[in-house]
Amino acid sequence: MKKVIEGSHAVSYAVMLSRVQVICAYPITPQTHIVEKLSDLCSTGEMQAKFLKVESEHSAMAGCIGASAVGVRAFTASSSQGLALMHELLHWAAGARLPIVMANVNRSLGAPWNIWCDQTDSLSQRDTGWLQFYCESSQEALDTVIQAYKISEKVSLPSMVVLDAFYLSHTFEPVNIPDKGRVDRFLPPYEPKYRLDPKVPRSFSGLTPPDLFTEMRYQIQEAMEEAKKVILHVDEEFDALFGRRYGLVEGYRLEDAELVLVTSGTAASTARDVIDQYRDDGKPVGLLKVRTFRPFPSEEIRKALKNVSKVAVIDRNISFGMGGIFAEELKSVYGNEEEGPIIFGYIAGLGGRDITRETISGIIEYTFEEDRPKKPSLWPDLRR
Amino acid sequence: MKQKINLKHLHDIPPISISLGTMLWNETGSWRYLRPKYVVKTPPCNEACPAGNDVEGFMVLARQGKFREAWELIKEESPFPGVCGRVCFHPCESSCNRKEYDEALAIHSVERFLADSQGQTRRVRHAHRIRRKEQIAVIGAGPAGLTCAYHLGRMGYGVTVFEAHSAPGGVLRFGIPEYRLPRSIVDHEIQDIQSWGVEIKTNTRIGKDMPFESLSTFQAVFIATGAHESRPLNIDGENLEGVYSGLDLLKRIKGGEKIPLGKKVSVIGGGNVAIDVARSALRLGAESVEILYRRSREEMPAFSQEVEEALREGVKIHFLVSPKKILGDGGKVTGVECIRMKLGEPDESGRKRAVPVEGSSFSMHTDTMITAIGEASDLGFLPQEIPSREGLIQTDEMGFVHVRGYFAGGDAATLDRTVAVAIGSGKKSALAIHEYLQGSWSTKRFESIRVGSKGTISAKKYLHPPKGEANPPVMTFKEINTDYFEHHGRVSDPSLSLEERRGTFHEIHLGLTPEMVEEETQRCFNCGVCNQCDNCWTFCPDMAVKKKKDHYEIDYDYCKGCGICFVECPRGAILLEEEMR
Amino acid sequence: MSLKDLRQFPEEEYLSSGHLACAGCGAAIAMRYALKALGEETIVVIPASCWSIVPGVFPHTAFKLTAYHVAFETAASTATGIKAGLEMKGDLGTSVMAWAGDGATFDIGFQALSGAAERNDDFIYVCNDNEAYMNTGTQRSSATPYLAWTTTTPTSQPKVEPKKNIMEIMVAHGIPYAATACVAYPEDFYNKVRKAKEIKGLKFIHLLSTCPTGWRIASQFSIKVARLAVLTRIFPLYEVEGGERLTINVKPEFRPVRDYLKMQGRFNHLADQDIEAIQQNVEKTWNKLVKRAES
Repeated sequence: MKKVIEGSHAVSYAVMLSRVQVICAYPITPQTHIVEKLSDLCSTGEMQAKFLKVESEHSAMAGCIGASAVGVRAFTASSSQGLALMHELLHWAAGARLPIVMANVNRSLGAPWNIWCDQTDSLSQRDTGWLQFYCESSQEALDTVIQAYKISEKVSLPSMVVLDAFYLSHTFEPVNIPDKGRVDRFLPPYEPKYRLDPKVPRSFSGLTPPDLFTEMRYQIQEAMEEAKKVILHVDEEFDALFGRRYGLVEGYRLEDAELVLVTSGTAASTARDVIDQYRDDGKPVGLLKVRTFRPFPSEEIRKALKNVSKVAVIDRNISFGMGGIFAEELKSVYGNEEEGPIIFGYIAGLGGRDITRETISGIIEYTFEEDRPKKPSLWPDLRR
Repeated sequence: MKQKINLKHLHDIPPISISLGTMLWNETGSWRYLRPKYVVKTPPCNEACPAGNDVEGFMVLARQGKFREAWELIKEESPFPGVCGRVCFHPCESSCNRKEYDEALAIHSVERFLADSQGQTRRVRHAHRIRRKEQIAVIGAGPAGLTCAYHLGRMGYGVTVFEAHSAPGGVLRFGIPEYRLPRSIVDHEIQDIQSWGVEIKTNTRIGKDMPFESLSTFQAVFIATGAHESRPLNIDGENLEGVYSGLDLLKRIKGGEKIPLGKKVSVIGGGNVAIDVARSALRLGAESVEILYRRSREEMPAFSQEVEEALREGVKIHFLVSPKKILGDGGKVTGVECIRMKLGEPDESGRKRAVPVEGSSFSMHTDTMITAIGEASDLGFLPQEIPSREGLIQTDEMGFVHVRGYFAGGDAATLDRTVAVAIGSGKKSALAIHEYLQGSWSTKRFESIRVGSKGTISAKKYLHPPKGEANPPVMTFKEINTDYFEHHGRVSDPSLSLEERRGTFHEIHLGLTPEMVEEETQRCFNCGVCNQCDNCWTFCPDMAVKKKKDHYEIDYDYCKGCGICFVECPRGAILLEEEMR
Repeated sequence: MSLKDLRQFPEEEYLSSGHLACAGCGAAIAMRYALKALGEETIVVIPASCWSIVPGVFPHTAFKLTAYHVAFETAASTATGIKAGLEMKGDLGTSVMAWAGDGATFDIGFQALSGAAERNDDFIYVCNDNEAYMNTGTQRSSATPYLAWTTTTPTSQPKVEPKKNIMEIMVAHGIPYAATACVAYPEDFYNKVRKAKEIKGLKFIHLLSTCPTGWRIASQFSIKVARLAVLTRIFPLYEVEGGERLTINVKPEFRPVRDYLKMQGRFNHLADQDIEAIQQNVEKTWNKLVKRAES
């Protein structure tokens, strides 16, 4: 059923369709609409779930951990400060191999206060062991949440589905809300191998000695590697039932491109327009949208950028003391090789500053002009 | 189960930290430097009982309502629970640890209750006994002689008791007044002794009705003739009419004789006989009864409880007074000239000497005088070879004279003259006679049946040697964990009022009810003996105390030696000792 | 307590020997009885505390029933999630018990506990109070009593703040059942856990548990000292039902607090006037409690 809905509500409908049984809710702008919609759906009975109004995001994640450990599907949503507050528990959930799915609306972290779009919050969590998917549209957000449960339950790692604050969370788009029965066909009920069951008494997460810990961490790394295959497989299954697929990365007009823009989220959407413009002018430019940040799709990226000479990465985030996070991870793909594109890292759009077509054109121009980037990170939209 | 799990390969290791086995492989007993041990300590009441009763044992059984079993336990040591429960001076109560917390247990009254509760039981002819070939003679059917006969009878020997008087019992029948010890009780317990095959020949005085030498047909002889000769005052006027010997008087009263005592009775002496005779005189109608004692209250050898009762009943006691001369008129006693005394240095008994105060004479009017200044034994009938000194037969601790098969006990062999001590001596000699006849006597054996260090021995320990330490240390009050006991006063033994006592010889103490016994026995600390209260099991942090059917065991594989069980045992039945590695 | 009250505990153990608690650990004894009261159909939630270590090292455990180790301040919030998950699975019979130390309850986990109490989430929360952060080596928490030594409140700079009154705070949340308990009174604790099991909503039990290591006492006095805390009225045993009805369970005769304080190394430095001040405070608090019980 096609409906014009808010991006946040697309996530809510996906949660309902995924038959989530425990939702932990705590408000924070700009995620709040997600949980408000879920509250609605639960109260009318359209959704059969326990809606726990917890008293902080930290408790929200703890509640999800508890529920998931028992063997039910759990969900929460957060953003910026809230996400940062749950940080230790993100590590915990991954270490405990619990397939929790969380929607994170990318918002900048204080100080100072700023409630607008910035990717630093979710990217700060990149070491936690959570899968991360960066969505470009409301449809993608809805579809990814549903896919995420299947992927997470297969690899036993939690997933974060990331939306841009306001650009995606608060804008209305036409969205195809899949049919419940078809989703049930796609996503069977959750049957974990290990769960809290008094009939099978066990102790979980007890003290683990040095001579066993490494292996358990290795297993998580292996699962992340495995996840790349699983994501593509699930994508195929989803395509078969719903006619849509997203992949780990998406190339746009990459054929014979010499300069490729690499970006994520709604910036990719704007970038498509700019690419089209340049192509109309006969310039060999293309776009590589990175959808999956964790696991980082090194192989796919290398393949896509095989004969490209220059890459311009647009990061709506920064890791102080280093640079834009997507750029740095991209650079590491070519770490040990002799050949690879010259990578220009651009920081733009922090704290909700629009990444306009002008900003993107400026980036493309500069990249064409310069042989090599003058600095590791370039700030095109900085006031001078 | 006790296996430590070793995950060798990557594929053995589950993706999450999930338990696959127990911690039982971790034998935390290796942490220990102190080790708890269940012990049995000697309860002080057991040590104090001259008759060697397992007081703590019978109190526990009584508390469980097992009155018959409790009575049987007493009977393993003493044949006279009904007697002792009435006349004993209960040193068990004086040494009771509970005394230091609130009040001593009323052990004396409980013992009486147990005896009385079995009063109606038919005596069973004991069928299964080893019939031994040796025959033993006992001279004197008093508490010492009868106890000796009882234990020998129980061990399967044939015993003949020769009694000079017309009925057995000795001081039990002839010396203690009816209001303290009714004849029926004595009869009943003697009949039970006889049911073990003991023969009593009354009206047979050895040395008169039968020569001593005729006893050579017996393989051993126990001499327990007691002390029935009244010591004379050796002052003028002792032969006047109206002057009686206390012992003699008691015997005649017990015999049912109506003796015409006067109105103003005086009694010379401070022992139990003096008190008994004074209280009996009141009952026979004397208007006033005054005791003259040469020392003070503290030195009076009479049982303090008896002295208190005497005072309550109206007996007056003059302390530090000694008679110098008995005054008479027309052959009848009219008064007594006395002299005041003061206390000087202690004599051999440890009591302060009484020294006359110069010029303090005075006279007292009295129409009846009763002398009770001590009893002596008549040992004239004994052959030369049996040593005696100062009127006592010389024996070792177990009563062996060390001349052929002669043994002696009771008042004839000691100045420690109480029923309980007599019972104890009879029992000691019975065991010594058995060892002598079996040719296996050793001091080591004797040491192993001691209870504490006051001379008490146990027949039960002799016949059924216990596992573990033979004579463990005596339990003190400070080893009790008083947190587990609420303060609770002692039960009071109901007795006849003063009016009810007047003019009769009815038994004064009425005895406890089963409910009172239940309540009182709850107060017993069970010093040093486990009574399965479960405390050690409850408080072990490591589940290392295992409950068995009637005891506990420590699993030393896991016991960390924390010592909580040791502190929380209310009765010190656990010891903490160094772990030796 | 008389000898007549022979203990009537079920014999089945839900903990096995071989665990890593210090010799004489009060928390080990208390856990043993909490589990006896709850039985097999229980999930125990344990945040960072001594009890994270006591059951042993993966892949072994001393627990014979289901236990879930969680992050420090999440005992109450994880329990909330577990209970919600169980209910969605249709399991209404399994009990959930959060077992957290005083640090995890009074301090870092307080928010989660308050949230769960306000929502009246259905589980039992036992605060195993040994009056300091013992697992990390005896640092002061807001449960540490006035003037007690800890590594962060040395005798030169003692803790001058009073012990936080957690019971009053929890009762103010309006939960259906709150009670204090003491490891030296196992039947009382056992009965309270059993009672709590039958009530719906958040049940809070504040349990005083001896730590011989941190209180600086010989391990053998572990229970004796805990009992003295109750007998000297420093730690009264009482329950509050329905937020209103207060019942004092043990009414001991007067006994000076000195008897309790002098047994412990952590109070060795106390001067007479300190002890007097504590005595007065204890009496004030006790009298207030008695008055509330009577009204």
